Amino acid sequence: MTRRTASAAALVAAAALILTGCGNSDSDGSGGSGGGLSVGSAYMPQPVSDSMAAGFLVIANDGGADDRLSSVTSDVAGEVTIHTTVGQSMEQVKDLDIPAHGKLVLESGGDHLMFEKLKRKPKEGDTVSLELRFTESDPIKVEMPVKSATYQPSAATKSSSRSSSDPTAPTDPSTVSALPALSTLSVPFTTSHH
Amino acid sequence: MRKKTYAVAALFAAAALTLSGCGSGESGGDNAVAEVSTGTGSDKAATVLDKPFEKPDLVLTDTQGKKYDLREATAGKPTLIYFGYTNCPDVCPLTMNNIAVAKKQLAQDKKLSQAQKDSLRIVFVTTDPERDTPAALGKWLKGIDSDVVGLTGSFDTIQAGARTLGISIEAPTKGKDGKVTSMHGTQVIAFSPKTDGGYVLYGEDATVDDYTKDLPALIKGARP
Repeated sequence: MTRRTASAAALVAAAALILTGCGNSDSDGSGGSGGGLSVGSAYMPQPVSDSMAAGFLVIANDGGADDRLSSVTSDVAGEVTIHTTVGQSMEQVKDLDIPAHGKLVLESGGDHLMFEKLKRKPKEGDTVSLELRFTESDPIKVEMPVKSATYQPSAATKSSSRSSSDPTAPTDPSTVSALPALSTLSVPFTTSHH
Repeated sequence: MRKKTYAVAALFAAAALTLSGCGSGESGGDNAVAEVSTGTGSDKAATVLDKPFEKPDLVLTDTQGKKYDLREATAGKPTLIYFGYTNCPDVCPLTMNNIAVAKKQLAQDKKLSQAQKDSLRIVFVTTDPERDTPAALGKWLKGIDSDVVGLTGSFDTIQAGARTLGISIEAPTKGKDGKVTSMHGTQVIAFSPKTDGGYVLYGEDATVDDYTKDLPALIKGARP
């Protein structure tokens, strides 16, 4: 049995590495780019009911200036709000930081979009249209595919075995809350690949 | 093999508790989980507890509006318990769907007998009983797996039951905008049909594949 003591920093670094890998794969939902921003890895898990749904995506900022995701609208929902996960609950936030030369990762267990007042229940195979607005850059339109209710992007890309994906476990609240800043970290990646 | 001890789970619970009270969630976290020792090098999602949990003495209301005595109704049955709420777009439906899809796949692949499948109790206890009435729970669970037992009742009772499993939840709060913020549990707990003890934990990162691999063992009360 391999044992390891992972510091919070290592967890964060590991998460950053994984997320960097995911962000480059635009095979799943993607959108256009506005200025230095580009959107990838967008998906919505098929929701349980017609009352609400979640959406996830990665916004990369190749530019030299910080930006913020400030509002989102969608054809499928009366309201789309931006949420962050704090411990075991979610809080609506006004906006989220997209650091220069970094990225904003919206992912299951962390920051996410919440679709409410659904006009129809999105089903696997559907596509949902979104418009993302920012405090600096021009709006970006995104076509977000609806995936199965149990879809997992990390499993799909097979970029990470469980040993390296473990540190992102949402049971660790500090990792989750630190996600928006992940990509700016340059902590050496440490793991114990047997 | 990967084996975390109860102490680790308690640490997570403690960290969550610390964070739940603080707005940004940035300050307390690092210290609280600075030193978490986890085994790696295998693909096991399960955490087998050295000291199993006693099944909580919860008497609640099911989706039919009937009294449901958890200990009585699940005695001698393999049982999975999760605490969450239906106005939860992300983690709660994902966790429940992962289990439901795994069960369905196993049954389809004939890896579970009908009797084994029928013996499994999947219990969803709401952490938001005010909004999650029996009818609301029933409607939501129907979208996942209508065999799942949905339970609601007084928040205090639910909170006390969760606490005996190391799961810390606080009552939903209503913001100025009228929006309710609820809290979900951090893990799924599997109870053995042999001992009725809660002996295995799954975090929110457990996937369909994890449950598909482990359910046959859990249904027998074996170590996954």
